[in-house]
Amino acid sequence: MRQLLSTAILCCLFATNGVAADPAKPTAEAVEFFEKKVRPVLVEHCTSCHGEKKQQSGLRLDNATDFLKGNDDGPVVIAGDPAKSKLIQSVRREGDYAMPPNKPLSAGAVAVLTEWVKIGAPFPATNTTNITPEAASRSHWAFQPVREPAIPVTKNSPDFANPIDRFVVAKLEGQGSTLAPIAEKRTLIRRAYFDLIGMPPTFDDITAFEQDSSPSAFEKVIDKLLTSPQYGERWGRYWLDIARYADTKGYVFQENRDYPFAYTYRDYVIRAFNDDKPYDRFILEQLAADKLPPGDDNRTLAAMGFLTVGRRFSNNIHDIIDDRIDVTTRGFMGLTVQCARCHDHKFDPIPIADYYSLYGIFSNSPEPKELPLIGKVARTKDSIAYEAELAKRQQAVTDFRTKRHAEILVELRGKESIAKYLLGVAQLAGKDRQAVQAAVRDQVLRPAAFARWQTYLTETAKKPSSVFDTWFALSKLPEKEFLTAIDKLIVELEDGTETSIDRYIMAALIESNPKSLKDLAALYGNVLANACERKGLRNILGVDGPLDVPFTEVDRLFDRADRDKQTALQKKLDAFTASSPFTPPRAMVVNDAPNLSDPVVFLRGNPNNPGPQTPRQFLQITTPTRKPVTNSSGRLEMANAIASPDNPLTARVMVNRVWMYHFGKPLVVTPSDFGLRSEPPSHPELLDWLAKRFVEDGWSVKKLHKRMMLSAAYRQSSQLRPEFAQADPENRLLSHINRRRLDFEALRDSMLQVSGKLDRTLYGRSVDLFAKPYSSRRTVYASIDRQNLPATFRSFDFASPDQHTPQRFQTTVPQQSLFMMNSPFVAEQAKAVVARPEVLWSMTTAERIKRIYHAILSRDPTPDEGKLAVEFLTLAQETKPSAGQLNPAELFAQVLLISNEFAFVD
Amino acid sequence: MNKLPPVSRREMLTRCGVGMGLLGLTQLLGNSGLLNPVAQAGVDSANPLSPKKPHFDAKVKRVIHIFANGGPSQVDTFDPKPALLKYVGKTLPTANLKTERRTGAAYPSPFKFAKYGQSGIEVSEIFQKTAQHIDDICVIRSMYADVPNHEPSFLLMNTGESRLVRPSLGSWLTYGLGTENQNLPGYVAMCPGGMPLMESQNWQAGFLPGVFQGTYVDPRNTDIEKLIENIHNKSAPDGIQRKQLDLLAKLNQAHSETRPGDALLEARIQSFELAYRMQTEATDAFDVNREPKAVRESYGPGDQARSLLIARRLVERGVRFVQVSHAPVQPWDSHDDIEVNHRRLAGQVDQGISALITDLKRLGLFESTLIIWGGEFGRTPVVEMPTPGSNAGKINGRDHNHWGFTVWLAGGGVKGGTVVGATDEFGFKAVENRVHVHDLHATILHLLGFDHEKFTYRYAGRDFRLTDVHGRVVKEVLA
Repeated sequence: MRQLLSTAILCCLFATNGVAADPAKPTAEAVEFFEKKVRPVLVEHCTSCHGEKKQQSGLRLDNATDFLKGNDDGPVVIAGDPAKSKLIQSVRREGDYAMPPNKPLSAGAVAVLTEWVKIGAPFPATNTTNITPEAASRSHWAFQPVREPAIPVTKNSPDFANPIDRFVVAKLEGQGSTLAPIAEKRTLIRRAYFDLIGMPPTFDDITAFEQDSSPSAFEKVIDKLLTSPQYGERWGRYWLDIARYADTKGYVFQENRDYPFAYTYRDYVIRAFNDDKPYDRFILEQLAADKLPPGDDNRTLAAMGFLTVGRRFSNNIHDIIDDRIDVTTRGFMGLTVQCARCHDHKFDPIPIADYYSLYGIFSNSPEPKELPLIGKVARTKDSIAYEAELAKRQQAVTDFRTKRHAEILVELRGKESIAKYLLGVAQLAGKDRQAVQAAVRDQVLRPAAFARWQTYLTETAKKPSSVFDTWFALSKLPEKEFLTAIDKLIVELEDGTETSIDRYIMAALIESNPKSLKDLAALYGNVLANACERKGLRNILGVDGPLDVPFTEVDRLFDRADRDKQTALQKKLDAFTASSPFTPPRAMVVNDAPNLSDPVVFLRGNPNNPGPQTPRQFLQITTPTRKPVTNSSGRLEMANAIASPDNPLTARVMVNRVWMYHFGKPLVVTPSDFGLRSEPPSHPELLDWLAKRFVEDGWSVKKLHKRMMLSAAYRQSSQLRPEFAQADPENRLLSHINRRRLDFEALRDSMLQVSGKLDRTLYGRSVDLFAKPYSSRRTVYASIDRQNLPATFRSFDFASPDQHTPQRFQTTVPQQSLFMMNSPFVAEQAKAVVARPEVLWSMTTAERIKRIYHAILSRDPTPDEGKLAVEFLTLAQETKPSAGQLNPAELFAQVLLISNEFAFVD
Repeated sequence: MNKLPPVSRREMLTRCGVGMGLLGLTQLLGNSGLLNPVAQAGVDSANPLSPKKPHFDAKVKRVIHIFANGGPSQVDTFDPKPALLKYVGKTLPTANLKTERRTGAAYPSPFKFAKYGQSGIEVSEIFQKTAQHIDDICVIRSMYADVPNHEPSFLLMNTGESRLVRPSLGSWLTYGLGTENQNLPGYVAMCPGGMPLMESQNWQAGFLPGVFQGTYVDPRNTDIEKLIENIHNKSAPDGIQRKQLDLLAKLNQAHSETRPGDALLEARIQSFELAYRMQTEATDAFDVNREPKAVRESYGPGDQARSLLIARRLVERGVRFVQVSHAPVQPWDSHDDIEVNHRRLAGQVDQGISALITDLKRLGLFESTLIIWGGEFGRTPVVEMPTPGSNAGKINGRDHNHWGFTVWLAGGGVKGGTVVGATDEFGFKAVENRVHVHDLHATILHLLGFDHEKFTYRYAGRDFRLTDVHGRVVKEVLA
């Protein structure tokens, strides 16, 4: 440990050696050293007393200016001279102070601080927030262009043909180890099967492979698996983790929560992997399929489900866009752009303006009201019945809207209503938008009607009006002047000095003698409502005036009760669409908005606090040549910037993901965060080499699999060798392959496969996995309710559908075992194994045991295992199963199904 | 009670046929992170729920959150406001604060308040049984939240964030502390008859591993199988499951022998034994009929009483966090008929809460348990006006109120018989020693031994906290 630490310090020394030490203007290397090594020490041990909240002895160590000032007695550091620096004396507990007071710093931390002072105590003027993107891109590995590294020469080991091995072995030799021996053939083929299709090979598959002694035997297996449609189901599901796939929206008030067409996105993904769609094209389609030249197959539009299958956050648009920014930037580039929603990213060179540039791309890409059809349903009696029912439910919504529109118009033309709106407009004159909205809500005014009244009265006030001039004049008066004014007016009317007023209004004024503005409004309501009845409506208030709100504005006429009723009807319609197998497929697209607008920065992330405008454009850090987009949303430009071979992140991130699934661990341990706080890759050159080849191979994922799987590093045994484990406890250098536990999909699919019940139907709608009778479809087709994810998924560390999942957790909890021991699903599979013809028709117990072993573990039992099996069967024979319970052979099969051998891949 | 004797780790491993030598290696490797393919910050993959120590020693080991979902009215429960009487039927001299709906005149509480205990804290008649324990209760009268809407406020109260996906309080605590009984879920969320509004988002694990998610239980089910999935075996004849597991252990042992030093293989072996024990233990924990009749009766009748008794049985067995919501959706949401509705709702829990406190004391658990009572916000001291489609238009209920409300705490580390903070003269807005929901969370974490600023989890490049960038520990709450 001590040795490791001093090596680390040496590296730092090396990195910073010869750097001109100017504390005020540190170089990028010095900044990196400070941010990675020094600041963490200061933050962890010092700034709670010498920071923003407290400044003991007047010292503050959280920013450059205060640091340079030092404490009450002056500077605490003499650049280049640790021994004379008070800060160093204090942490060494040698001077006037012993700091931190309670617990001394570790020797490592003291060494870091000493080294820092020695090189001049560089303290960036502000924290990383303001590192310019240029500075960061100069220093951080992931922002460098992908390099073409030299393939290393390995010393002790035979010269491997596959460059992957040369990269891996070169590192291993550095610590005196090498690859483990190649795994046995049965282990190897099982590994390959799970890696590519997520299910085990059969006994016969293994035998055939063992008997094939040709040098290309393993390659043939890989090729066969890559052409199997089960491949897309396995790797498609991995992608769905990244895309936070679900079949529901989450909580959206009273709306129907289903995404009836989410499955079209899943189908697209599975098909894309099966077709080995070039990854750059895969990116373009998921972000902007609508902007690409239409091919013959408009199912491609479904690709944009990548953006739209996320949670709907109670329909809050800002959160929906945030989710889309996150899935795009972390998913494709391992960049945590989301962190820049409220302020500049604290660690990575992503200013808040860049976040809102992307925000603008998405805010200008709404979903159309009607999603495009991407397929047909065969016309049958059932489908015709479906259409009829659908039409009925649609009609119910339309009817409700038409009926309510007519009713509301009658209401608006009534005297009470007219009076209410006149008063409302008068009272809210000159108030700001929010106050108006609140008042409209509180007074239960219909927004469309209010807006029209407001416009109408504003326009009318511009020229003389015999009808409204009296209203305008009186409604502007302070309350206490009203009576005097109206009395005066009535006198003038009565004595004939005032004659410009409409005769109906005049008559009403004289007759009713209003005492307040409210009375006056009622008077107007009366007169105008009567005028309506006399067909004078259009003459008085004009075509399209406040009493003639067209049907197109009906939504803004609805009050809460109307909306609730409409939502209930719409919900019935949506639920029917979602549940019927006859609903033709549609693509969950977004399209460019007809009226484009540039976004503004929301200060502190608050939409009510708009800041400066920012153009729609991509990120500076990956795309220095970016240009503002003005004539479209900018989605296609964004997609091109991501799918570019010049983007330093895209290929590296994908290669790292594929590596993780083959080797059990990624090269960069945080597959969706390649930012400044991520650990550097275990094999940086290998990562670059693979990224280069990936692009060179036309972004072919299948070629990438093959490249990795043919390496000796992949084919090595999983046997741990303790002598190497000491030096590399996490096996980051790969002195053996990592043993892996099956994820839930592989576990469930494998049980179905060995029981012979697997339904191999490809594609289609989601199925409920936990409803009886149990579906035999592959787990990838499971319906995922993100609001209430079935407990079994949770127990088995299934990807959270709430946010992008970079890698699954792998926990062990008893709920998993309860499922294996007690779930009727597992019992069914045990029964089905024993019902396989070759098991059922076994002549002897020994034969039956062997057949069960073949079916489940694809091998012969050892003599010991044979004995144990016989013992168990004898014991079990003594019990009497009641109806539906498992018989002895089935109970035995269940034990094999739940065994570690079944659940792990060597 | 047919409690099984506890099994030590050593016994367990021996029973599973694993020798000590291997255990040593497993621990060595496990601790060093070896063979832990998904090395996630702070989560031990093999034993994610094993008990852990917090930042500093704390009295409280477990939590019961009695969630009065829907928003109980503070001026009708724990925050008396006689000044409202002066304005019956009149508008308050201060403008009504903006809440979700239209509100009108002052609306004094229809309930009588009286002083209780040595502390003489005033409590409404509808909580008179709870009030018997007022000297053990710390009433925070100056709570406030962000908005007057249920959805964001449910999430704020339970997860510290109004809209985005974040781990719930219970998830943070099970992540930080593990649980003391591996045979039961570490975090149980109960709601009789259905789920509260926002459903499982209230007990979501967010970006934490799924094992830290609350296990939802409908305490109305008396059938254990409906409480915990797969808890009973129906497919194996009596007694044979043990034989299956014995065979399994032997096969797994042979498998492990050629694959030494793999913590995950080892963990999976153990988890079958845990699961086997869980079958009995979980059944026992949820079966209130095993409780003496007198104890059962002390809680009173009904779903809520039953939930509280189950909660006590769970924390007694080492479950870390139990949330008890009142009933599905938002039952405390009395927009109309507040007198009838609040009396009914309080009547359903008052005796149970009182019995719970007595019972925890009897068992010596009160000092190590934290009880939290409260809703997601409170209600207006002024009457709600009729709005089509919103309420029944009776003008005898109250609107939501996030400006000021009451939450109370009781149990270990809490200063009983205290009132913290105050709302204004009419109970509309918190004005003295204001306590935001983030502050409440910081205080709860403190009571359990965590510095809320240091209790973090790194996800998507950020170190997340329950309190985000907010929160202060409310010192006045602490004993």
